[in-house]
Amino acid sequence: MPVEWLNPYHLQVGSFLLINVLLGVSIYITLSTGQLSLGNAGFMCIGAYTAALLSTKCGLPIPAGIALGAVLAGSAGVLVGLPSLRLSGVYLAIATLGFGEVIRAVAVNWETLTGGAVGVAAVPQMGRVLLANLADAGFAPGDAGLRPNQFIALSVFLILLAVTALVIAFFLRLDRTRVGRAYAAIRLDEKAAEAMGIPVTYYKVLAFSQGAMVSGLAGALFAHSTSYISPEDFTYHRAVEILVYAVFGGSGHLLGSVFGAAALTLLPEALRFVSDYRHMLYGLLLVLMMIYRPQGVIDPPLLRRLHRARAEEAP
Amino acid sequence: MKRKHQAIAALTCALFALVFLGARKAGPASKPKGEPVRAKIGVISIITGAGAGYGEAITNGFRLARDEVNAKGEVLIDLKVEDSTGKAEQALSAAQKLINSERVAAILGPTLSTEMKVVGPEANASGVPIMGTSTTAKGITQIGKYVFRNSLPESLAIPASIGMAVKKYNLKKVALLYGNDDVFTKSGFDTMKEVSERLRLSILTVQEFQKGQSDYRAQLTRIASLSPDGVFCSALYEEGAVILSQARKMGITVPFVGGNGFNSPKVIEIARDASEGLIVATPWFAERDDPKVKSFVAKYEKAYGKKPDQFAAQAYDALHIMANALKAAGSADREKLRDALAATKNHMGVLGKFSFDADRDVVMDPNVLIIQGGRFRPFR
Amino acid sequence: MFLEQAINGITLGGIYAIVALGYTLVFGVLGIINMAHGEIFMFGAFVGMLLVSKAGVPLPVAFLGAIAAAASMGLLLDRFALRPLRKRPGASHLASLISTIGVSILLENAAHRIFGAGNHLFETPFSDIRFQAGSVTVYLVQAAILGISLLMMAGLSLWLSRTRAGKALRATAENLETAGLLGVDTNRMITATVVIASAMGGVAGVLVGMAFNFINNRIGLSMGLKGLAIIIFGGMGSVYGAMAGGLILGLSETFVVAYGPAGYRDAIAFVTIIVVLLVRPQGLFGQAVSDGKP
Repeated sequence: MPVEWLNPYHLQVGSFLLINVLLGVSIYITLSTGQLSLGNAGFMCIGAYTAALLSTKCGLPIPAGIALGAVLAGSAGVLVGLPSLRLSGVYLAIATLGFGEVIRAVAVNWETLTGGAVGVAAVPQMGRVLLANLADAGFAPGDAGLRPNQFIALSVFLILLAVTALVIAFFLRLDRTRVGRAYAAIRLDEKAAEAMGIPVTYYKVLAFSQGAMVSGLAGALFAHSTSYISPEDFTYHRAVEILVYAVFGGSGHLLGSVFGAAALTLLPEALRFVSDYRHMLYGLLLVLMMIYRPQGVIDPPLLRRLHRARAEEAP
Repeated sequence: MKRKHQAIAALTCALFALVFLGARKAGPASKPKGEPVRAKIGVISIITGAGAGYGEAITNGFRLARDEVNAKGEVLIDLKVEDSTGKAEQALSAAQKLINSERVAAILGPTLSTEMKVVGPEANASGVPIMGTSTTAKGITQIGKYVFRNSLPESLAIPASIGMAVKKYNLKKVALLYGNDDVFTKSGFDTMKEVSERLRLSILTVQEFQKGQSDYRAQLTRIASLSPDGVFCSALYEEGAVILSQARKMGITVPFVGGNGFNSPKVIEIARDASEGLIVATPWFAERDDPKVKSFVAKYEKAYGKKPDQFAAQAYDALHIMANALKAAGSADREKLRDALAATKNHMGVLGKFSFDADRDVVMDPNVLIIQGGRFRPFR
Repeated sequence: MFLEQAINGITLGGIYAIVALGYTLVFGVLGIINMAHGEIFMFGAFVGMLLVSKAGVPLPVAFLGAIAAAASMGLLLDRFALRPLRKRPGASHLASLISTIGVSILLENAAHRIFGAGNHLFETPFSDIRFQAGSVTVYLVQAAILGISLLMMAGLSLWLSRTRAGKALRATAENLETAGLLGVDTNRMITATVVIASAMGGVAGVLVGMAFNFINNRIGLSMGLKGLAIIIFGGMGSVYGAMAGGLILGLSETFVVAYGPAGYRDAIAFVTIIVVLLVRPQGLFGQAVSDGKP
């Protein structure tokens, strides 16, 4: 077969990588205004449950469910973000940590809606639904030289790739707009930013809810790629994992978090012995990064150097 | 600007490539040549992480059975073990690797019901038979026609233990206690509640606890104040042992009936005297007077230096069931193997007589045991 | 039953309070939240357990061992995770939070490697001494926990307000540079604070083991998060706030289990965090500070 090399296993790992990249982006956005949110696992939980329940209980089409999941998580972000802005720094981090745990407690206890600890099973998986729909239209994956499971994994991967690329492109662009500059100003010095007439509160809430929305989006996509979710997926450890993506990769530039999420998803997959010590490694990384490179592996100066080096290479 | 994005993209791609260099070497599935049926069987288990204790027992059980099967020579099984770390995402990646890179004929595992709910649909859609050996929650085999299990579900175990306890001790008023943030204990509780209602017991109270909790006295004080005839407790043995210990200390002396997860010699080890009188239903009884059981226990102890638990026993039987199905199918063809598995009837293993029902779920009689004198004994 | 539940609640609350005292001391002086405090407490509990149940030493020795172990972990924590951050000018106030989160994750998983994921029996004859008062049974451990937590609170506040070292500590807390100019060895003061707070965590660890008979590697995280909630509720840096907050949380958790939706027991702490931060960010006993910033 011509496309024998297209291995669903690789696509699967790639799909999880993309979801983690989205999570990395989500924490970066809030961090870009100097706010640390430890509640992104909670927002992810909201997005995932919204999407999963809308499609299993109300029969809503998947894209609509995903969009609503993201929107609901974003609105929760506004609700949490607005009052939290009286808080800063560590207080905000702790409040959002509390928020994440409350959301999980609700998912465990509101059994009639969420199914409790048992979770939501048989969430329609994007790839399988797409295949079924195309089959109705007379398409068979064999026509494209693909086995059905190759087609399913590939379509999930491509959908996630498209969404992730769009999100990254949007926020890269945002960096160079008035909004992005306001974020940067607030991050550098909130008081000075305020003195310069930047509506600090507005931008902080905006960044906070954007981050929540991207977390929710990641959660919704997660639900429709694994076809099963339970409160176990959204614990404090998930929030720490997301934090590690940004801290390791770099919180000074969007691509830092993207790199961090990608590298830390692949590492345990590549080096099995690492997976044994994965969480210990994460802990160590947080400490070492804070001491030696608090801005993360990738920071704007490094990007500029890379850029210059390449420019010099070119004639 | 664009350049630096390219640099990042290149870096990420390089990492990606690095990861999969090793994985590309996988060859095609072995085909039956001559007499013996050769098959590659995938195993998804918890090798690292919090549940590694279960995974170790399970893989030990598989390996012991594989060595026996291969020594006979009719079926030659090549086990490919992948780690799920207890996480559904990792389990799914592992399953994709086994199905697509290793091209296994069938999969044994994964360990947890949460993992199976993610892996099952994928294996089913790919037409790969998959058999859980420790997944006891509801709705596992209903995932699809390729999904099997040989682990005694709570829906069989709990009615047996509760039924016998109610008869023996003439229980009328009971208290229920369970971990509400764990799939396994939650679904055990659902069955307990159902059975209690069916037996028209009066449920005095339902108490919940959460993982990692070490103080159960608030719940137990409430239960003690209602003076029930018995307590039905759906907990994993780690928590269960602590609950028993604190309950006995508070003077709750009534019988405790546990779920499948409560069945472990560790309960006796952790709770000591407080574990006396605990009633559980289990597929596995290590002291049964059966040459098969004795030889398994002896071999296992010799190979791994400890007594096999329920998880090792279930894994051991599962691999033998798989080997018999391979023999019946005459090849490692996934489709034929599925049909042969589904036709399994009256397999005599260390757990006793085993068959699959029309839903590929378990048909067997559980043993009801009670802890007396520091060991599990048959409850009569 | 009400009385019994109240005793359960006070016992739990006393333990929470001791854990919270460790948090509040470090916050009061350094202005940082030591997210690794719960894990240091957990290691203290394990060392106490090994000494009592495995080595069979008398209880006071186990206490000393746990205190020594926890204190040395505090020393290491300060040396390797906090001091390097103090040296760097312009380090974000989030840096120490992230760094201690790292230490906590590291320790939690190290404990999992070393001790396994299971529960360990914490057996001491002391735990079985009890009194019968009418229909209510009170264990000596329960009384001891309340007593020790009150003693610690009183001792800590006396030490801070009356002694030379305590005054130096408060000066350090007030303004690091000024205290340094006035001849206070601020680095030593800070290290001492972290070590003392950790030692208190060691005491709490042994008490938890005695009260519940069991410990596992996850109690650090759950107790740590509770302690965090308490200092936010009681007021960051307030010694009395930690005590009051601990007792209130212990009692409300117990009564939610006794009379309310037990499943939300763990959520109370977190709801409290959110509500308090929004309504009265300085907490019950805290002093109002501008901007909600330390």
